[in-house]
Parts: sequence; C-alpha cells; structure tokens
Amino acid sequence: MIVVLLMAGIGGAGIYVMKLRSDNAILKANQHKLETAITEQNKVLEQQKEDFTAILESNKKLNVLINTFKKDLQDLDKRFTKKNRDIGKLAIDRTKAIERIINKGGVNAARCIELASGAKHTEPELKATLKSEINPECPALANPNYVPYQ
Amino acid sequence: MYHINKIFALALIILLTGCSIGGEKKIKIFSVEEPRQKLDYPMPTALQLEELKWIIITSENAQEVFAKLEAAGIDPVLFGITDKDYQVLARNFAQIRQKLQETNNLLEEYKKYYEPEEKK
Repeated sequence: MIVVLLMAGIGGAGIYVMKLRSDNAILKANQHKLETAITEQNKVLEQQKEDFTAILESNKKLNVLINTFKKDLQDLDKRFTKKNRDIGKLAIDRTKAIERIINKGGVNAARCIELASGAKHTEPELKATLKSEINPECPALANPNYVPYQ
Repeated sequence: MYHINKIFALALIILLTGCSIGGEKKIKIFSVEEPRQKLDYPMPTALQLEELKWIIITSENAQEVFAKLEAAGIDPVLFGITDKDYQVLARNFAQIRQKLQETNNLLEEYKKYYEPEEKK
C-alpha cells in the first residue's frame, strides 16, 4: 500500500513538474505576444499623430486658398470701380484702348481657368516677380513667386 | 486486494487530472489586414480654352464696326452686354475659376491623404 502511494506521489510530482514547464512556455509566449501588441499599438499611435498633422496642414492650405479667392474677387471689383471709375464711360471716351485692355483681360482670365483646371505653369509665369510680368486676374495662382507690393 | 486496486485507480485519476484544472490560458491575437486597392485615377486633364475677341460698340463707332465685320465676311451681328453686365460676367467667371481650383485642390489633398506615394 505504502509503495503504491509512494509511486503515485513520485508520478504525480513528475506530472506536476511537466505541467509547470508547459505553463511556463505558455506564459513566455503570452509575454511575447503582449510585447508585439504594444509595439503595434505604438505604431498605430504614431500613424494617428502623423494623420492629425497632415489634416491640420491640409486645412491650413485650404484656408489660405479661400482667403486668396476673397482677395482676388475684391481686387477684381476694385479694378472696375477704383477712384469712381466708370468702365462704360471710359469705353465711350477711349474705345480702342479699353477694347485692347478687355481683350487682354479675357486672355488672362482664360489662362487662369486653364491653370485652375490643372494646367502646368510656363517658365515666364513661374519667373514673374514684377507687377508688369504677372497675370493680374489671378496672381496667386498664375505667379507663385510674385510677392505683391505692400 | 479489491480495495487496494480501487484506491490505486482513484489516486491515479486524481494525479493525472488534478493539476490540469484551471491551467494558464493562451492569449489569441487576430490581426487580419487587407488594404483596399488604390483607386489611382489620373488627375483630370487641364482645359485648353479658345481665344475670343471682344468688340466694344458705342453709338459713335457702330456703323464702322458693322462695316468692318461685313468687309471681313462676318455676319454683321453682335451679341451685346452692358458695361454693368460685363462686370457681372467677369465676376461670374472668376467664381467659376475659383470653384474649379478649389475642387481640384480638394481632389489633390484627398489623393495625397488616402493614396500617398509609397515610401522607398
């Protein structure tokens, strides 16, 4: 009886040790998985941070663009009404000169539409830095290197 | 002898199963990621507009203008707008151009955000 109990005890101890080793292996694997999960989470956080920065940057760009639009429209109005200018009267007095100006304006405005639709800038457009060289219909769009005088 | 066998069998069952109850659980992490295919449309083709000519016609030069048109073989007819309507037309075109630019810009930004170029 004692011998049987003794053998059972030894056998049990052996099985218990094997069980402990198996648990240890599982815990090690779990630890590895947790570490991998943490690394992946960090990567996700990093990506989110980059995304937020990109969104802010994009919003800023679009706001600048909208403000440019407002300014362009104001400039256009100014050109027609500056110093109580009446373009109708001017056209009666100086028909040929105004016709020339209007045709040039039309060509410039058409070029602005082409650029807005994604056309590539020409060399002179990119190089323009003087007021006499720019497209006055849309300087911000047509002449990115032009800085308006203050 | 019968009792000894019973005790032996019972002890053996307890020894074999006792420690396996409530063992450590394995963590299972599933990570299935299949990115969507890129739409990758090319940007719209840029416009190429045709040139048109404005003619200013007043009560004084009207006859001269029509005579020139006839001499050039062009029908002596003009589609006119007043100076005020010309300003409205200029404003309308400016707004159309701005909307076009805004839409193109948005498209570019979306493309840049959702379909960035692969990092090399």
